[in-house]
Amino acid sequence: MTVVQLHPAAAVTDAVKVYGIGATRVRALDHVTVEFPAGRFTAIMGPSGSGKSTLMHCAAGLDTLSAGSAHIGGTELGTLNDRRLTELRRERIGFVFQSFNLVPTLTVRENITLPLDLAGRAPDAAWVDALVEVVGLGDRLHHRPAELSGGQQQRVAVARALAGRPQVVFADEPTGNLDSRSGAEVLGLLRQAVDTMDQAVVMVTHDPTAAGYADRVLFLADGRLVDSMDTPTADRVLDRMKAFDAPAATGRPAGTGSTAARAATARAATPDTARSAAAGPRESDRR
Amino acid sequence: MNTALRIGLRSARAHRRRLVGTVLAVLLGVAFLTGTMVLGDTLRANFDTLFADANAGTGAVVRSADVLPAQNVPGGVRAPVDTALADRLRTVPGVSAAEPSVQGAGQLVGRNGEPIGGKGPPTLAGNWLTDGTLNPYRLAEGRAPAAPGEAVINRGAAEAGDLRIGDTTMLRTPDPVRITVVGIATFGADADGMGPSTFTGLSLADAERHLTPKGEGQATAIRLRSDTLTQQQLVDRVKPLLPSGVEALTGQAATAESTADVSGRFLTMFTTLLLVFAGIALLVATFTIHNTFAIVVAQRTRENALLRALGAHRRQVLGATLAEAAVVAVVASAAGLAGGIGVAAGLSALFAALGFSLPTGGMVVATASVALPLAVGILVTLGSALLPAVRAGRTAPLAALRESTVDDAATGRTGRVRAVLGTALLAGGTVLTVRGATGGPSAVLTATGAVSALAGTVVLGPVSAALAVHVLGAPLPRLRGVSGALARRNAARNPSRTAATATALMVGVAVVTLFTVFAASIRATLNDTVDRSFAGDLAVTAPAFGAGGSGVSPKLAEAVRQLPQVEQAVGLGRGVARIDGHGRELDITDPARLPGVVDLGRVDGSLAALGTDGLAVSRSEAAARGWQLGSTVSVAFTDGTERFTVRALYEGGGVAGDYLMTRQAWAPHRVQDSDTMVAVALRPGVPLADGKAAVQKVADAYGNPQVQDRGEYAASAAGGVDTMLSVVYALLALAVLIALLGIANTLTLAVHERTRELGLLRAVGQTRGQLRSMVRWESVLVAAFGTVGGLGLGAFLGWALVRASDSAGTGSFALPPGRLAVVLLAGLVAGAVAGLRPAGRAARLDVLRAIATD
Repeated sequence: MTVVQLHPAAAVTDAVKVYGIGATRVRALDHVTVEFPAGRFTAIMGPSGSGKSTLMHCAAGLDTLSAGSAHIGGTELGTLNDRRLTELRRERIGFVFQSFNLVPTLTVRENITLPLDLAGRAPDAAWVDALVEVVGLGDRLHHRPAELSGGQQQRVAVARALAGRPQVVFADEPTGNLDSRSGAEVLGLLRQAVDTMDQAVVMVTHDPTAAGYADRVLFLADGRLVDSMDTPTADRVLDRMKAFDAPAATGRPAGTGSTAARAATARAATPDTARSAAAGPRESDRR
Repeated sequence: MNTALRIGLRSARAHRRRLVGTVLAVLLGVAFLTGTMVLGDTLRANFDTLFADANAGTGAVVRSADVLPAQNVPGGVRAPVDTALADRLRTVPGVSAAEPSVQGAGQLVGRNGEPIGGKGPPTLAGNWLTDGTLNPYRLAEGRAPAAPGEAVINRGAAEAGDLRIGDTTMLRTPDPVRITVVGIATFGADADGMGPSTFTGLSLADAERHLTPKGEGQATAIRLRSDTLTQQQLVDRVKPLLPSGVEALTGQAATAESTADVSGRFLTMFTTLLLVFAGIALLVATFTIHNTFAIVVAQRTRENALLRALGAHRRQVLGATLAEAAVVAVVASAAGLAGGIGVAAGLSALFAALGFSLPTGGMVVATASVALPLAVGILVTLGSALLPAVRAGRTAPLAALRESTVDDAATGRTGRVRAVLGTALLAGGTVLTVRGATGGPSAVLTATGAVSALAGTVVLGPVSAALAVHVLGAPLPRLRGVSGALARRNAARNPSRTAATATALMVGVAVVTLFTVFAASIRATLNDTVDRSFAGDLAVTAPAFGAGGSGVSPKLAEAVRQLPQVEQAVGLGRGVARIDGHGRELDITDPARLPGVVDLGRVDGSLAALGTDGLAVSRSEAAARGWQLGSTVSVAFTDGTERFTVRALYEGGGVAGDYLMTRQAWAPHRVQDSDTMVAVALRPGVPLADGKAAVQKVADAYGNPQVQDRGEYAASAAGGVDTMLSVVYALLALAVLIALLGIANTLTLAVHERTRELGLLRAVGQTRGQLRSMVRWESVLVAAFGTVGGLGLGAFLGWALVRASDSAGTGSFALPPGRLAVVLLAGLVAGAVAGLRPAGRAARLDVLRAIATD
């Protein structure tokens, strides 16, 4: 616990990531420094090619930096070999991807305990049961992923990400393939994890509504951290995005508006989540 | 260019790596087929050349017309002709030379005391023809034999036995003859010998003495040549002068006859055997090819659906897939042809390593040996790809939008049809096989049943794969944790694919098992036979195979019997005769003494009273022919027919064959006498080792045949079985290799298909080692499914083969647990090896690319 207090759950310092060589050389991350503290929900936004996915992949140890450093807790990822990195991922990081989150041959319960099983650790049965209760899949434990809806699959993925009580959960467009109602459920779960479990969550998204669930939004463009926004709302994020798009003239002017409109109705349907009385700006303050 | 063709070519090029396994499977199959055919061509051509060389200077051959087929004498057994006939023919106008030619079996003993050759190719002895044109041999050094005991030997034999001019050694005819080497000869145009056979040339007098029954005045044939007449004219000229029962044929006809004889006796069987194994390899390849294309088509569903949505006809999509298969077919078959030459050389080296030398100087490649494998390779590939191609053509345009197709081979309607059809085929096949194998063995019934059972197993494969993998993989989760559990489920997730992959291995393992079981059963039968019917303590034999060797001297039994340690010693010789019109082998022996060393069971009548016109017949043979004691039968020898009376009946199926005849009765008709074995019983109280040493000492003087106790005798009788089995294993290795390539290929494709799933596993914490182990164990499981299925099927068919081929009902059936365990283990290890490459590829996956969203 002391370690957690001394270090942020995850951090990158002066991170540089370069792809390709010569004419095809692309600087995906350009001296980015950012911390993801425990108990905070951070969203990373930016247009396609802004480096937001690269930032998440490097922070999570899925990819290596060209320069700079990445930390999970007090561990510098650059010093680890593939084996140690893999072990760190399964013990200290939870993942939720946009799609293909579950192993099709495993049941729901087996998928949830997969990282623990891979580590040869006995899952904490009470904890897993509690997670199952929260994600609301108690009656589906022995089903295969193919028998679940997309939203249910993503909820299983969230439960899996939380099962090992990781230091940080990285979510890569977790609602990208979901309808707004299912998306809201998944985001609510992540929010709940931050509030009730003091979990650090980092989410890459291009959906302003999703970003609205976060405590803080980081904006990336051309591999640089260009702005940040605390206690965001969907509308404010949307406005901010438009401001980016206009001078750069690269974004997607069409579509975002309608997404926001859909998101707004979805938000109305989101059940209010109970939370502990912890410090810091909360969603309820913004409502 | 046609669009379908263009798409096919492009996609073959784009998916080179996926098709590597298929190309290899076709290549190996075609190479094996080509190799077999080229080896056949080469052998045929070389034998032809050998016989042509042997008769090169001979215009006509004069010999006895009547011939009795004999297992170990090329061309069969004929009565000798009088040498005096040569003198008469020499005076015929136009005949430039006429020489008696004596030929028989004579095995040289080398410098180290070991006999030279004897494993397949003939070991010959004869007279050194004095006419340089008639004699196919030329003196390379030394001189021709003149005095008794002098001999010319061929250069190959001299080198093999390390014999030089001036050396004295022994020639087993089989009576031991001491000879001094006075010359070394080459054959034809400077060859070491007539192929791998050995030849010892004696003076005519010596040859007559040692190789003909009377010892003088007889020859195997008379060779003629003419400087002025054609071969046919020569034959026509001498024909009227020949006594009855003697014929003349041209040198060319004699060559053709020898070639036909070796073809029928050896080549046809040999090449057929090889072709059967090439066929098995190709069958296994068929499964592999089919499977690869099925997977490639499944993986390309979206692409094909897009083509259909854009307006491609079914036939165009089908054509594109077939075009891709055609590329594979042509490339692989062409490469296979080239490899086939190497395979032919390899096969010939394999047989040489096992002790069977083949005359394979200079490869001969006939047009058919190129055209047929090429056609077979292309047809097999296209045929195997046809079904997947049809499926590709049927792709619904909507499939482009669907996530992925579900494997319904094991479930749903197809699954039920499969289950019913497969069970019916398997059950029907099993019943037919059992009926065919047991109730008065019927080869046709058994074979039909076996094919039906095999087909049933193949059809049932996808239905049973999931269950089988589940059961076989049961220990995996405990052994390898979640990676083991995943391996087990991955192997079961696509049952038709797993089944098709495993079926290839199953066929290979089934054939391996069948032969293993069959060989073990033969060995058990031989052991039983020796146990049951060999009542002696020692057996003296001269090991030989095919047309080689010369047997044991008939005088040895007499000499051994004189030893104080020996109670009884009886020689068993082999004779051939036509009995009531049927060619039969007789055991020439001393029937009165035989019960002392061979257990003949209950004997009706008297063995001692056979005399010179009596026969003893096994009870089963007598029953089959409808004879009783006192029946008279006609026995045709090479020199005429006599009537014999059945004077004794005994229990057959043992060391002694179906007919026993006294030496006295046989003597007038014999050509070259030899015993196949001398059975020895020691006096009570004589230690085995002492008795064996004493007998060996006597045997040494008779050309050093081997003296064995009961166990050794049984083991050596079964030795040939083991040699054949190793040949079969070596030939089957290719089929098994192709099956393993299939497993590796399927897994590689599966890894490719599961890229994102594997990436997810890596992301959530599966180490490279765990991932590798997961893929490897999946491979082992598929291999285990194939191996266990193959073991079961092979053991059952092996049992059927043993029963069906045992019309007398005296054979044993044996399941060798040790060997079968080795087969199982080898299957599992091979599975692990086949999984290495796909596992390596899976472990090298870039996690990021794997989980990247599209």
